[in-house]
Amino acid sequence: MVLEVHNLQTHLHLKRGILRAVDGISLSVGEGETLGLVGESGSGKTLTGLSLLRLLPKGSGRIAEGSIKLDGQELTTLSDSAMARDIRGRRIAMIMQDPMTSLNPVFSIGDQVSNPLRNHNIAHGATLRSKVIDVLTQVRIPSAEKRLGDYPHQFSGGQRQRIVAAMAIGCTPRLLVADEPTTALDVTIQVQIIALLRQIQADTGTGIILITHDLGVAASLCHRIAVMYAGRIVETGPVRRIYKSPAHPYTQALLAAIPRLGDKRARLQAIPGQPPSLIDPPTGCRFAPRCPARMDKCAEPPPTVTLADGHEAACWKLA
Amino acid sequence: MLALQNVTKHYKTSRGTVRAVEGVSFEVRPKSTLALVGESGCGKTTIAKMILQLERPTAGAIAFEGADTATMNAAQLKNYRRQVMAVFQDPYASLNPRLRVGTIIAEPLLAHESPGRAAVEKRVAEVLDIVGLPATAARLYPHEFSGGQRQRIAIARALALRPRLMVLDEPVSALDVSIRAQVLNLLADIQLEFGLTYLIIAHDLALVEHFSNDVAVIYLGRVAEAGPTEQVFAQPRHPYTQALLAAVPQPDPDHVLNEAAAAGEIASALDPPTGCRFHPRCPLAIDICRTTTPEPRGTPHQAACHLVEA
Amino acid sequence: MSASALPARRIPWAALRRLPWLPLLVLGAVGIAAIGGEAISPHDPNGLDLSASFKPPAWQDGGSWDYPLGADNLGRDILSRIMAGCGVSVIVAFYAILFSGSIGALAGMVAGYFGGRVDAVLMRLIEIQQSVPSIALALILAAAMEPGLSTVVIVIVLTYWAWYARIIRGEIMALKGRDYIAFARTAGVSTPVIFRRHLLPNIFNTLVVLGTLQVGQVILFEASLSFLGLGIQQPDISWGLMLSDARQYITNAWWGITMPGIAIMLTCLSANVFGDWLRDRLDPQMRQL
Repeated sequence: MVLEVHNLQTHLHLKRGILRAVDGISLSVGEGETLGLVGESGSGKTLTGLSLLRLLPKGSGRIAEGSIKLDGQELTTLSDSAMARDIRGRRIAMIMQDPMTSLNPVFSIGDQVSNPLRNHNIAHGATLRSKVIDVLTQVRIPSAEKRLGDYPHQFSGGQRQRIVAAMAIGCTPRLLVADEPTTALDVTIQVQIIALLRQIQADTGTGIILITHDLGVAASLCHRIAVMYAGRIVETGPVRRIYKSPAHPYTQALLAAIPRLGDKRARLQAIPGQPPSLIDPPTGCRFAPRCPARMDKCAEPPPTVTLADGHEAACWKLA
Repeated sequence: MLALQNVTKHYKTSRGTVRAVEGVSFEVRPKSTLALVGESGCGKTTIAKMILQLERPTAGAIAFEGADTATMNAAQLKNYRRQVMAVFQDPYASLNPRLRVGTIIAEPLLAHESPGRAAVEKRVAEVLDIVGLPATAARLYPHEFSGGQRQRIAIARALALRPRLMVLDEPVSALDVSIRAQVLNLLADIQLEFGLTYLIIAHDLALVEHFSNDVAVIYLGRVAEAGPTEQVFAQPRHPYTQALLAAVPQPDPDHVLNEAAAAGEIASALDPPTGCRFHPRCPLAIDICRTTTPEPRGTPHQAACHLVEA
Repeated sequence: MSASALPARRIPWAALRRLPWLPLLVLGAVGIAAIGGEAISPHDPNGLDLSASFKPPAWQDGGSWDYPLGADNLGRDILSRIMAGCGVSVIVAFYAILFSGSIGALAGMVAGYFGGRVDAVLMRLIEIQQSVPSIALALILAAAMEPGLSTVVIVIVLTYWAWYARIIRGEIMALKGRDYIAFARTAGVSTPVIFRRHLLPNIFNTLVVLGTLQVGQVILFEASLSFLGLGIQQPDISWGLMLSDARQYITNAWWGITMPGIAIMLTCLSANVFGDWLRDRLDPQMRQL
């Protein structure tokens, strides 16, 4: 396993109280595997990603418990400097939603793509230049050699996200954390970036964590899916199991609530209510207040039930 | 009900003329929903702004029930504004954070009528009830509500004057997946109940197929394809519509995306391609596509493409 | 969402404790002196007493607590004169800020909201205004009119309205793009109502902050004009005029020029510190002002 996370708890210390944004999640990513972390805003998926890189909001964010192991090495106890030197950008890289905020408008893309390579002593001098051209070609920037001196604003939205990807894969990381990498893009560009991520994985064997709210994007890119709700993983399993035979009522409701092409239902099946506050979350199952299959037992924390090889869901109904 | 005829909008900027909308025509039938679909920068929001009279067309006409909005006098225009209401994308930006919900919802009402305090309160409570919020919500401020609830408030505000046409600009794209269905169902319910006509602007094709009766696919300021939603989605004729549909990821791991359907990216409206504006990305482009602008062919399912037989 | 979930409105004692007490004390003293006038000053500020001429402050040799801050060349009590000067400073600050703020805010709102030609004309006006040296403007006005309190106010208003207009225009342009204003326009809400309901309340904080930050500048400006003889005239009393009077005796009576100088400095400093505090409380996004 490239990444193994066990019982991760990330808290945000706010004025209003402690927000248990990530509340005891466990997951793993294998070599050449893409894990989809799917959930709505506030489900804790983005903070899970940031926890892996230990890039939590300064002052308020804290990993309260749990372990994060990259190739067997524990990251939660690593010093900040070791984290910056050996892990961040080197062995775990990140692609964020908005390429415009990931790129610095005043530096040329040649500079920006070579920075991580230089900082992590991957390449120097002449090899550095050829390496940068290699990486940009790999993400299919046309005539990369001539464009090293160009600035971010001279590229289109899709190309900028390719450049961000180039910065991320330059150091051949073991794990790529992609947080909504296509959300800011139009569908015809989105499909190109999805293809690019797939190609990067085929070329380098990197593990990918894809953080997304879009069940379509997750289906087209992931091998396994972990569905998050209110800071917890409610269901995890191989992609086909999750979409073809979802077990948790939340996963089922989510899949029923989205309109699909070619599907002419008169009404969408809405999920009533809204997610709970994570400052004072309900005891027991957090989806229970909105759940159509709610039982009295749901007031107690639900057991994690194994349904098939690698397919687990936390629900009393399945126990 | 609402008809656009050759509507064009150019913006003069220091870098040249932005041809945001170029000769767009379509009609919205009463009590139905027409969807404008396209990618960012295609001009669909500019079209909505012109319909809402926030911008004036450079050329062409927008007619509401046969009356040209450009020649309306102040009273007629005010009546038009009363009949046509808007719901915007971001419910955090579309509600003034300093006003109570009751004041927000009463705003269009007070702009057109001078009912007494009690009548206003009664109407506010009515529309709050229609959108599924308690009457006590009127006393609270927008920040005390979640995104989905705020969008309900925005819908209540648009509904307060019983308009005939509602312009819905990406009404659910800022909302969470589990909330979207609630709001879409609510919109469908009130359309039926009050006989409303909708013009919805969206980029989510599955949503459009689900929600609309007619659709117009916009590419770089022009209508690429338009017609009854069922026909357009079942048999897309324009290569751009085909590319769009092939690129939509489906919540189905067995679905295969076609990334080759549209190469490259949308051109700038500052310097649009000659001929068919889609030709630089089109896998089927032939010589005539580079030189001649295709006229729409077919009715009611029309496509502006040289390769489509009339 | 229920009403019971609302936080109870408590008096924010913690925020009160963080009030800038010292500046408020100084500004309060200036205010009291301005209102109280001669009724609370120890001497008649214009009362001559040649026997007390050049009396040093009380803590120096030859000083007496009768004249705590000393006396000037004509034996007038400096403390009483500084107190009398408060009145002028407060009146000038009040009118100058009221008029420059209103004119500037109105111009900024109109230019920002309507844009186009109106905006272009107003912006050119602002640019012209900001390139005219205000001392030259004061000279011309003083020549055309009687120098005095109203001239000072007019000069300051002419100098500062553009400052308000520029900032308010920027705020309005940002506000104009908000969807709730777009909705109001599409729903047929009239422009005056949009101004009153959506624009004014949103720029109110900015106006308060700008006004407070301007107090120090206005007082300093008034003092400079009066010092140059373009502002307040004898027998009226102003801090700038006191500086001007005392200038020729600076070598043998340092207190004559130092005491009003300290008054100006303390008042301006207090107004600025208070303005900064208010800005940070009301509108943290305006730190660049």
